Amino acid sequence: MAGLGWLGSVLYPVISYLGPLPMQGPSGPVGLTRAELTKVERDKFAIIPVGTRRVLVVEDSAGELHALDAKCTHEGCTVRYVSGESLIWCACHNARFDLQGRVLAGPAPRPLSRHGVQRNADGGIVVSVSKA
Amino acid sequence: MSDASENTGLVKWIDERYHISPLLEFFRHKEVPLGAHPVLWYYLGGTTLFFFTVQILSGLLLLVHYQPGEATSYESIRYLTTKVPFGWLVRSVHCWSGHLMIISLVTHMFSTMLLTAYRPPRELTWVTGFALFGLALGFGFSGYLLPWNELAFFATAVGTDSVKSVPLLGDWLLNVLRGGPDVTINTLYRFFALHVCVLPIAAFGIIGVHLLFVQRQGMALPVGESEAPRGMKFFPNFALRDLLMWLICLIALLVLAQLFPYGAGIPGFEWELGQKADPLAPAFPGIKPEWYFLWVYQLLKEFPPHLLGLEGPQACLMVVTVLLAIWALVPWLDRAARAERSSPGFSDLGVGAILFIVFLTLKAWDIGGGGGADGQLPDPAAVARACAWILVPLGLAITLVRVMVFHHRWFILSGAALLHAALHGIGGLPYLVAGALTAPLPVVAIGFLAIRARRSAPSAGGRP
Repeated sequence: MAGLGWLGSVLYPVISYLGPLPMQGPSGPVGLTRAELTKVERDKFAIIPVGTRRVLVVEDSAGELHALDAKCTHEGCTVRYVSGESLIWCACHNARFDLQGRVLAGPAPRPLSRHGVQRNADGGIVVSVSKA
Repeated sequence: MSDASENTGLVKWIDERYHISPLLEFFRHKEVPLGAHPVLWYYLGGTTLFFFTVQILSGLLLLVHYQPGEATSYESIRYLTTKVPFGWLVRSVHCWSGHLMIISLVTHMFSTMLLTAYRPPRELTWVTGFALFGLALGFGFSGYLLPWNELAFFATAVGTDSVKSVPLLGDWLLNVLRGGPDVTINTLYRFFALHVCVLPIAAFGIIGVHLLFVQRQGMALPVGESEAPRGMKFFPNFALRDLLMWLICLIALLVLAQLFPYGAGIPGFEWELGQKADPLAPAFPGIKPEWYFLWVYQLLKEFPPHLLGLEGPQACLMVVTVLLAIWALVPWLDRAARAERSSPGFSDLGVGAILFIVFLTLKAWDIGGGGGADGQLPDPAAVARACAWILVPLGLAITLVRVMVFHHRWFILSGAALLHAALHGIGGLPYLVAGALTAPLPVVAIGFLAIRARRSAPSAGGRP
């Protein structure tokens, strides 16, 4: 019993030390910077940091905006929008998703989470990350 | 018979203080068996150690200029390779020796497997060798991130993400490994500590134990033989030959490092610095991990999103874990070799493992699939077909050599590996479906052989 107590008193501080500190970041809606807006206009997508997440903002061929997690649900690579095929693609293991985040093909086990996105009257884009 | 009184000069001075005579006596009498196996296999452990030594020395030189940090990792490597005199050569030597070390280590491991040199009393030599194989992969993986370039970033994202498949502890382990939920500069700090401190200390310890076992027990003889036809004095005869082999390796390393400073130009075997890592950039097309991880990378692609109630990556990594566990436990699983009888099934397991890994690696290179620079994706069916047409003739040629040269007669597992590739690539079946159709065949065949051996055991005196 004393041995277990001794082991715990050594391991607990070490394990606590190795664990990451909680990450801080904006939790409310986030507006895209000018550079990010230019990127959306030029490439039809941009990846922006919102809190601890990477969010993919896409403008489809009809001009509609979509915001989804940019982290592939397969092995965590960052996805991209392929405007020619109107789909989201992960180059690492060839996973494909539609603009609603649903898996179309490839090994991804879950859909990409969707987030709120809207265009302001001044042309700016605001993304609100859902809690899920 | 020599004794301590024969020692003179410095040796005598050391012996008087530290009593090294028994050790010297041991080396004076130690012999390497000849005529048992091709002697080339005996040098592979030494060449692996040589490349590891070069890794340590060139790594120390890299540390003089490398500065880990978000604004300095990539920049210091670029400075090192473009401004520092011979910095490009030091980096090239470090990268080449890393790859050559793994080639040498893998060849050493497979030669040990095929010669059944893992059998008693050398089980722990095999296990420590397997641990060193794991450490070598750890060195490659942790070192890959340090330049903080695009390729390193995504390779680390994929590699570390696999950790979350560990039951119960997965998410916690992932956070500890990355220093957070995602790959950030905190991950680099942790990998830097692993690469230059934790792994080398572990490697020194295990290499020491492995060498101690090898020196104490000597080289393995062929199954069923109690002594070698001839012997060669370990010191100085074999030690000098070992040294000559190291010299050849050094020359080859320097020639390769100078002629190809950014690698062999094959995906997974090149180290162009490329773009700086940008966590907000998407993964680029054609991204591949290093060549020794390609088979796992490809296997991850072959698994569907869900399988038997598990997510695809979890199921895949479970399969990989089971395969590696089987590999580590071979000395205990191979009961025939334990009884000093030949074990053709385990030799065939070694060949089957090679065919399995080669097929997946060829597929990972997208051979025959087209696509590439214009952003076109390779056609998976064409890749599978081309790779099967390479593997099947290659496998048949290996089988022919085994029959003609080594008189092997047991091909169940290697045959299953070839049938799997043919059903998938030429027959057009999905990889896992082809695997599911193939897997029962060796099980039935091995079961049949086991029953037949058991029935004939009393009359045949136990010969399998």
